[in-house]
Amino acid sequence: MFKKILIANRGEIATRIIRTCREMGIWSVALYTPTDRDSLHVRLADEAHMIHTPNRYGDADEVLAIAKAVGAEAIHPGYGFLAEEADFAERCAAEGIVFIGPPPAVIRTLRNKMLTMEMVKRAGYRVPVYAELPDAYADEATLQQTAAQVGYPLVVKSARGGRGRGARVVMHPDKLADAVRSARREAQLIYGDDHLYLERAIAPSHYLTVQILADVHGNIVHLGEREGSLLRHNQKLIEESPSPALTDAQREELWTAAIDIARLFNFQNTGAVEFLMDTAGHFHFTEIKARIQIEHGVSEMVSGVDIVREQIRIAAGEPLLRTQEQIRLQGWAMHCRINAEDPWNDYLPSPGRLTRFRLPQGPDVRVDTYGYAGCAIPERFDPLLANLIVKGDDRAMCLSRMRRALMEFRIVGVQTNAPLHKQLIQHPIFVAGTYDTNFMARFRFDVSANTNAETCRDLVAIVAVAYLMRRRLDRPVIPPRFQSGWHRSARRLPARWT
Amino acid sequence: MHKLTIIVENQPHEVEVTPNRARPGEYTLFVDGHPLTVFVPDFDNPELVDWMIVEDRPYEFILSPDLRVAQIYSGRYDVQVRDKEIGGARPFVGDGRVKAPIPGLITRVYVEPGQAVEVGQPLLVLEAMKMENEIRAPGRGIVHHVAVQPGQTVTLGEMMVEIQ
Repeated sequence: MFKKILIANRGEIATRIIRTCREMGIWSVALYTPTDRDSLHVRLADEAHMIHTPNRYGDADEVLAIAKAVGAEAIHPGYGFLAEEADFAERCAAEGIVFIGPPPAVIRTLRNKMLTMEMVKRAGYRVPVYAELPDAYADEATLQQTAAQVGYPLVVKSARGGRGRGARVVMHPDKLADAVRSARREAQLIYGDDHLYLERAIAPSHYLTVQILADVHGNIVHLGEREGSLLRHNQKLIEESPSPALTDAQREELWTAAIDIARLFNFQNTGAVEFLMDTAGHFHFTEIKARIQIEHGVSEMVSGVDIVREQIRIAAGEPLLRTQEQIRLQGWAMHCRINAEDPWNDYLPSPGRLTRFRLPQGPDVRVDTYGYAGCAIPERFDPLLANLIVKGDDRAMCLSRMRRALMEFRIVGVQTNAPLHKQLIQHPIFVAGTYDTNFMARFRFDVSANTNAETCRDLVAIVAVAYLMRRRLDRPVIPPRFQSGWHRSARRLPARWT
Repeated sequence: MHKLTIIVENQPHEVEVTPNRARPGEYTLFVDGHPLTVFVPDFDNPELVDWMIVEDRPYEFILSPDLRVAQIYSGRYDVQVRDKEIGGARPFVGDGRVKAPIPGLITRVYVEPGQAVEVGQPLLVLEAMKMENEIRAPGRGIVHHVAVQPGQTVTLGEMMVEIQ
């Protein structure tokens, strides 16, 4: 087993990886930028190095140089930044450092979203109708022709990024050119590659993900599925496992398909096989995410498997700890993505300093975060502040636990989207478990406050007392010089001082 | 005893607050005539207070520094505090000189020398602690002298307007 691992990431995922490293007796090396100095991952690591380069955590040269200098045997890329970078994985191998993730060739294939779909389609699985945009800067007529083959509504996607950031839904031909232009810009910015493809939108649908673990000895297991149909701006807000939309027979079918598809690519390490389920209950494969995901905690909760531990073990050549028969999926888990953004103010990011940060506790509640009371939340990176994950015996228990965890979670200093989560998990459609990808489009955050008479009266009392306290109107006036004791000592000063 | 008007979501509430001298941190209030007792556990650090117990109901809250926005579990509320001690009309007992009740910044002056004013008529606006306090005429009379102008800062007790 490795003795030293460098974590080429920040925030809550770096904290998450450091925790497992410590449990395994592995020395953890953290990286941080000047703005991330306050992050918990820097404090928890055995060793921490600052990176100064403008590419920050995504700077392959800098990360490799530090890894070599500190003698790290392996690099964990987390998600984003250097995860899913085949070139980087190759360079690690050339330097004799283990990249904790799939082999470079697998990453390369899976990052080509169209090639991946083509291979899966040939193996006999359903995939959405798609077409490559022939030329990066095709004229309007070619665009429209390609779009007509695919059919509307369609999604403009990055050939490298898939359905994550950069994806645009187009309902009507009028909007196509604009969507392509902005998708191209964003793809270039995020992925450094402006290749696009068009995919027929399946809406409404369910976003289903199967968590996969595969070792180098040919063992492959799944940890059940996650439902991630609650999205805002292509980012999942709430995930749950199992999916409330599937029958047990459908579940089995989905798991088997996911494992067979992962085998097609000789997949190794951990990944997420993603599908869309249409209204007829058919699964359409979309992509494999060749990395750990933000919401992996949900699968860990229901399966009892530490995915990061397995990632590290697989990378070290060890076999999976448990066979499929030994993995028992139990209970119901849910994940709320707590972002530092203001739901009352168009979800604008809300950086600042956490003056109070009290985590929810109690049975089956887990929070992965880089924050703590007193720490600064930088505006530079993603607004993700904390992953709140809870588990219950069944969905109803899980929901009530999430509700109480959100009540307990106290964050002062930055505004978060926790109030949005409180409303979402109490929405009748969400409670019934019948939501799909259309739900968020119709959902409106209720900005109005509850003006129940007793609540208002109590609030008035609170504001009145706070006002008095802040103005010190509630206490006798004592001039400051009488409070310090200095006026008494002053008389005892030696004569030469006066 | 302090008299305040507190507006929550455009609904004004009349408040009387009396700190309990014998038990620091305890306050007796009347909100629209309804008696309430508030207990502040962190009485010693007014700036850090983030929870209070109203009767037997604990509340955690977030108040913006200017006391304009209050957040509790049931939502976010727009609030406004009007301090009658500072801005309100008081019986005309003094010599007609209106002095600054708190240090602050004069943002508006409504009157000029020679003008007749009624009891409670706004004279000027004194901004302090990010709140606008309307200073009103303590009695009926003629404005004799205006000693301040907008943009000027005043210290505690500084004479601002004289009424005869």
